[in-house]
Amino acid sequence: MHEAADIAYHPLPALLVLWPLLCALAVRPLGRWREDVRNGFVLFATGVTLLGAAALIPVLSAEHKITSDIPVLVSTLHFVVDPFGMLFALFTTFVWFAATLHALDYMQHEKNRDRFHTTSLVVLGAMLGVVLAGDLITLYLFFEVLGLVAFLFVIHTETEEAKCASVKYLWMTVLGGLALVGGIFLTYALGHTGAIGPIPLEGGTETLRWVTFGLLVLGFGVKAGMLPVHVWLPDAHPVAPSPASALLSGVMIKAGAYGIFRTVTALFRPEVVEEVSEELWHMTSDFGLVVLWIGIATMSIGVVLALGQHNAKRMLAYHSVSQMGFILAGIGAAGYLGSHGAMGVAGGLLHVVNHALFKGALFLGIGAVAFRTGELNMYKLGGLWRKMPWTFVFMLIAAAGITGVPLFNGFVSKCLIHHALVEAYEVRHLMSLDIAEKIYVVTCGGTACSFIKLIGLVFLGTPKTEYGPEVREAPPRMLAALGLLSVAMLVIGIRPHIVLRGVFAPGLHEWALHSDLLEYYLEHYFLSPADLMSVVVAFAIGATIFVVGMKFGLFHLHAPRWFGVDYWYGTFARGFIRVSEWVGGWYERYLRFASRSLRSIRLGYRSTYARVERGWRRTVVTITTGAPGPRNQHFIQNAYIALERERQATVRYAVTRAHEWLRATPDADPARSTAAVDAVRDIASYMATRQMNQRMNVLTDMVRTGEIEAARHSFDDVLAEVRLFRDGVAHTAIELAQRRMTGEDVIRKISAEVNRISSEERFDRRLRVAAAAVHPAIPRVHSIGASARDAMPTPALVTEWRVRGLGRFERASRWVVEIVRLVVETTTQERSSWVLSDRLDPDSIIETRQNIQRYARDMSFNMAMILVVLLVFVLSIAVGVRQ
Amino acid sequence: MVPVAAVFLPLVGVVAGLVLGRISGRARAWGLGAICAATAALTIALIPGVLDGSVYEIYLLRLTPVIWIHLRVDAMGALFAATAALLWLLALVYSVGYMANEHRLGRYYAFFMLCLSWTLGVAYAGNLLTFLIFYELFSILTYPLVVHEETPEAMAAGTKYIIYILMGGSLVLLGVVFTFFLAGEQTLAAGGILNATMDRTSLLVIFWCFIVGFGVKAALVPMHGWVPDAHPAAPAPFSAVLSGVMVAAGSFGIMRVAFQVFGVELLAELGVMPVLAGIAAFTVVFAAILAVGQDNIKRRLAYSTISQMGYVALGVGLLGAEATIGALVHVTNHAFMKGTLFLCAGLLIKRAGIHNVSEIAGAAKRMPVTMAAFALATLGMIGTPPLSGFISKWYLGLGILDVDQPLYLAVLLGGALLAAIYLLPIVYAAYFKTPPTIAAEDTGEGAEAPASMLVPTVIASTLTLVLGLAATVPGFPYSLARMATEAFFR
Repeated sequence: MHEAADIAYHPLPALLVLWPLLCALAVRPLGRWREDVRNGFVLFATGVTLLGAAALIPVLSAEHKITSDIPVLVSTLHFVVDPFGMLFALFTTFVWFAATLHALDYMQHEKNRDRFHTTSLVVLGAMLGVVLAGDLITLYLFFEVLGLVAFLFVIHTETEEAKCASVKYLWMTVLGGLALVGGIFLTYALGHTGAIGPIPLEGGTETLRWVTFGLLVLGFGVKAGMLPVHVWLPDAHPVAPSPASALLSGVMIKAGAYGIFRTVTALFRPEVVEEVSEELWHMTSDFGLVVLWIGIATMSIGVVLALGQHNAKRMLAYHSVSQMGFILAGIGAAGYLGSHGAMGVAGGLLHVVNHALFKGALFLGIGAVAFRTGELNMYKLGGLWRKMPWTFVFMLIAAAGITGVPLFNGFVSKCLIHHALVEAYEVRHLMSLDIAEKIYVVTCGGTACSFIKLIGLVFLGTPKTEYGPEVREAPPRMLAALGLLSVAMLVIGIRPHIVLRGVFAPGLHEWALHSDLLEYYLEHYFLSPADLMSVVVAFAIGATIFVVGMKFGLFHLHAPRWFGVDYWYGTFARGFIRVSEWVGGWYERYLRFASRSLRSIRLGYRSTYARVERGWRRTVVTITTGAPGPRNQHFIQNAYIALERERQATVRYAVTRAHEWLRATPDADPARSTAAVDAVRDIASYMATRQMNQRMNVLTDMVRTGEIEAARHSFDDVLAEVRLFRDGVAHTAIELAQRRMTGEDVIRKISAEVNRISSEERFDRRLRVAAAAVHPAIPRVHSIGASARDAMPTPALVTEWRVRGLGRFERASRWVVEIVRLVVETTTQERSSWVLSDRLDPDSIIETRQNIQRYARDMSFNMAMILVVLLVFVLSIAVGVRQ
Repeated sequence: MVPVAAVFLPLVGVVAGLVLGRISGRARAWGLGAICAATAALTIALIPGVLDGSVYEIYLLRLTPVIWIHLRVDAMGALFAATAALLWLLALVYSVGYMANEHRLGRYYAFFMLCLSWTLGVAYAGNLLTFLIFYELFSILTYPLVVHEETPEAMAAGTKYIIYILMGGSLVLLGVVFTFFLAGEQTLAAGGILNATMDRTSLLVIFWCFIVGFGVKAALVPMHGWVPDAHPAAPAPFSAVLSGVMVAAGSFGIMRVAFQVFGVELLAELGVMPVLAGIAAFTVVFAAILAVGQDNIKRRLAYSTISQMGYVALGVGLLGAEATIGALVHVTNHAFMKGTLFLCAGLLIKRAGIHNVSEIAGAAKRMPVTMAAFALATLGMIGTPPLSGFISKWYLGLGILDVDQPLYLAVLLGGALLAAIYLLPIVYAAYFKTPPTIAAEDTGEGAEAPASMLVPTVIASTLTLVLGLAATVPGFPYSLARMATEAFFR
C-alpha cells in the first residue's frame, strides 16, 4: 500500500455516493405531486452525479488518489479513488444518465414509475459506493445494497416470468453476498486490514489463500454473470424494463467485474513498490490463470447459448455473460502476467467501459423497438430500418462496437485482450493458453454471427407482420440517449489514446505495473494490419456460422434441461428444502416418541403401583380374614353394589320422568304435583326393590348351581342390557301413581306389573345366554384388547390421569368428609333421617362403607403387624437377656 | 440510587396498573406508559456514567453476615438493562392496542411490569445470590403471561415452560450453592470468583450446572423444547419480549458465569469452552433447519430465536474478545429485530387473521407499513449491511478468526443463509404473491393497524437501522460491549 501521505482528503467521493441516495428520498413525494416534475428531478439528479464524476478527473490528475469518509457502521465508510475507480464511476454515471433519459418515455408503458426511479437512484448510489470504496467493508455494504435493491428492477413488471426470474436472482444474490462476506472475513484471517491493497504474502496457509480467493471470486462472480453462477442473468435481464436491463447488463454486473479485478490485481499481489522480484508474483499468476480460464469458458459457452435465443433481450443477456467472459479473460491475463499485465488490465477494463456503452445502447435500442412494436421475438420482426432509421443507425454502431469492427470501441479492447492472451502464451509457452487464444478468436466469430443475426432479422429483410401506424421513429429523448452512447463509442473507437494515456497509464503507475506496454501498443499495433486481419477472420467465421445456422435451423436446437447447471441448482435447492422439512419431520416424530415413552413410563409406574397395592391388600385380607375369600363371594358383593346402584338409578329415573310429565301437563297445581312425585317415588322404589331382590336371587341361585363362574364375565353386559327396563318401571309407576291419586287401590296392580316386567326381563336367562355365548378365552382377549386400547393415549385419558393423579388429596378429604357425614347420620338418623338421606349422595355412601371396611382391615392388619414386630422384639430382648 | 429506582419503579407500576385499571383502561395505559418510559430513561441515564468508568454499587439487604442482596451496574448489565427496558416500553405501548379486547388485563399488566422489574434486577445483580433470586422470580412469574390466553394449547405450553424452567432453575441453584461452598459469597466482577487451585471436578460440575441451567432459558438445543411452544401461545407483545429479552437473559447468565464467576483464564485452563461452542454451533444450524419447515409464523420465529441465541452462545464459547463483543452486541440487536418480527406477526394475526406463512400472500398490499418493518427486520436477521444484524455478525466473524477457528465461519454464514431461507419467502410472498381471494380487500378488513400498535413496531424496526448505522457511536451497544469485554480479557 502507498503511504498515507500520498492520499489527499477530498469530500467529493462521499458526496457522489450520498447524493443519489438522498435524491431517492424525494422521488416518491414528487411523483405523487406531478409526474413531469419528478421526471425532471431524476434527470437532474443523475446529471449532477455525472458532472460530479466528471469533476473527479481534474481532482485526480492533481492528486493521483483521493479519499473521504462517512462516519457510520463498523467505524467509517471509507472511500478511496484511484484512476480505475474513477473510470468506473465515469462510465457508470454516463450510462445511467442515458438510461434515465431513455426511461422517461419508456416507463410510460409501465406501472410503479416512482418505484422504478427510486430504485434507480438507490442503485446508482450503491454502484458508485462499490467502485469508490476504499476498504472491503464499505465495498461489501454497497455491494449488498446494490444486489438487493436491484431485485426491484428485476421484478418490476410483476409478471409470472418476472417473479420466477426475480426469485432466482434473489437467491443467487444472497448466496453470492454470503460467499463474499466469507471471503472478506478470511482476508482478515490472512492478516489483512481490510483495505483494498495487497494482502501480506506471509499470512495464512496456501489452502486458506485459495479458499479466500475462491470465495471472493465466487461472491463477485455471481454478480458478474460468471460461469457457472450466471444462471440468474439470462432470466433476470430480459424481464426487467429495457432501461433497467441496460443498467443491469451494462453497469451493475460490472460491480462484479470490478470486484474480481481488485481481487486479482490489488488484493492477491505483492507489495506495491517499483522493484519486486518476479517470484513474488507466483501466487497472483496462479490465481490469474484460474480467472483467465473461467473467462474463456464464460465467453465461449455464453456465445453458444446466445445463438440459440429467439427473444432479442434474452440473446443480449447471454451476450452479457459472454462479454463478461472477455473481461474476465483480460483480468485473468493481467494477473497471470504479474507486473507486466498492463495489456490485460487495459484490455479488461476498457472492455468493461465499452461493454457498458454498447450493451447499454443495444438494450435501449431494443427497448425502443419493443416500445413501438411491442414485440421482442427477433424472428417476428424485420425491415424496421425504414420505420426507425435513427434507431437502426445507433444499433448498427453498437453492433459494430460489440463485434469489434475497427474504428469502433470494441475493436480496441478486444485487440488488447487478444494481445494479452498472446503475451501470456509467450511467457511460459503453455499449450493451454494457445488453445485459449484460438477459442477467443472463434468466440469473436460467434459474437459477430449473433449480431449479424440480430441486425439482419430485426432491421433488415422483409417485415414478417404488417406494422400499424404506431410503429414509427422512437421518441426524441430515447434517440438522444442512444446518440450520447454512440458518440462515446465512436470517440473511444477512434481515439483510444485519451483513455489509455489519460486513465490507464497513471492508474497502472499507481499500482506499480509497467505502463509502457500501452504506449507500445498505441504506436505499433493500433489499427495494424495484423489486428485488422483478425477482425476479418472473426467476421468470416461469424458469417459462415450465420449462413449455415440459418440454412439448417441450427439456431432452434435446444439442449435437454438437465444439461444446464440451472436445472441442477434448482434440484439442489428444492432438495435442500425437502431435507430441511424431512429433518423437521423426524424431529417432530422424535418428540412425539419421547413424550409417549415418558407417558408410558408414568403409566407403567402407576399400574405397577396399583398391582403392588392390590397384592398387599389381598395379603392383608387373607391374613385378617383367614382363607382367601372365594371369588364368587367377592363377585356377589360387587354385584350387590351394582344392583343396588341400578335400583337407585331406576328410582331416580322414574322421578325424573315424573317431573317431565308434570311439566308437560298444563294444569300444574304445586301441591298436587308434589304429591304425585311422592307417589311415583314410592311406587317406583317398591318396584325397583322387588326387581333387585329378584335379580339377587337369580345370582345366588346361580352361585348355588355353579353357573356363576361362566356368567361372571357377562354380568356387566347384562346389567347394561336390563337398564332398558328402567323405562318400563318409570312408565308403570307414573301410570299407577295417577290412579292412586284418584283413590284407587293399586297395590295388587303394582305386584302384577313387577312380575310382568321381571318375566319380560328374564334376568336368569339373559345371564345364561350371555354366559354360553362368551367363550372363556374371549373375555381375556377382550380385556387385552381393551387394555391395549387404554394404552393408546387419548386426550380424554390424559385428562383423566391428571384428575386421578391430583385426586389423591381430594379422595382423602372426601373420605374424611364422608366419614363425618356418616357419623352425623348415624347419630341423628332416628330423629330426622329424611333430611340427611336426601342430601347424601347414595353412591358415595356405598363407596364410603366399602372404604371404611377396607381401611379397618388395613388398620387392623397394621396393628397386627405391629404386635408381631413388638412380640419379636420382646422375644429377642428376652433371649438376649437370658444369654 | 438510580439502579434501585430502575428496579423498583416497575413494581410501583404493578400497583398503579391495578389501581388505575379500576378507573379506566386509558388511565392505566398512560400511567404504565409513563412509568415504563421513566424506567427506560433511568436505565439509559446510567449508560454515560458507566462509560466513564464509574461502577454503581448498592447494598440492599444483608440477610446474614455472608449473604446479602447487592446491586451493581457494570457495562454488560447496563447494556442488557437498557435493551430490556426499551423493548419493554415498546411492547407495553403495543399491548395497549393489541390487548384491548382481551380478558384479565389487570393480571396481564401486573405481571408484565413485574417481569420488567425482575429482568432489570437480573441485569443489575451484583452477586450470584441476587442474580439467582431475580432470575428465578422472573422465570417463574412469567408463567401467567405465557398462559394468558388460557386456551388448551397455551395451558400445555405453560406446563411445558414451567417444567423446563424449574429444572433449569434448580440446576442454577445447585451451581450457586456449589460456588458458595467453594468460594464463599463474592461480588460478580471481571476475573472470576473461582480459581484454578480448586478441585477440578467440582469446577467442572459447577460449570455444567450453570451452562445447562442457563442453557434451558437460553434455548441451547437439547434444552430448547419450551421455546417453540411458548411463543405462539403467548400474546404477541409478550412473545416479543420473551424472545428478545427473556431468552437472552439465559445467554446473559451464561456470560456472567463464564466471565465473572470463572474468568477467562480459568475457562481456558478447564478447556470446556470448545464444547460450549460446539453445542452453540449445532444450535445455530439445527434450529434454523427446523425453522424452515414451520408454517406457523410465530413458531418459525421462535425457532429463529433459538438459532440466533446460538450465535450469542457461540460468541461466548469462542472465548475471544472480538467474539464476546459480537455476542453482547447481538443480544441487543437481536432483541429489536426479533421484537419487530413478533410485533409484526401480532399485527398480522390481529388485523388480517394471518397465522401461517401459507396465508400471507399479498399481505403487503393490505398492511404496507407492517410488512415494510417486517422486511427490514428480516434483512437485519440475515445480516445485510448496514442493518444491526450485520454488525453483530461482523464482530462474531472477526472473533472467529481472532481465535483462529475459520470453520465456525461456515456456521455463521450458514446460519445467515438459513435465516434467509426461512424469512425471505415470507417477505416475498407478502409483497409479490397474489392472494387466492380478493374478498378481504373489499370488506376493508385487515387494513393497516392503528397508530398505537404501528408506532412501536416502526420504532423497533428503525432501531434495527439505527443500531447498524450508528454502531460505533459512544453509548451504543458496541462501546458498552467493548468496555465490558476489555475488563474480561485483561
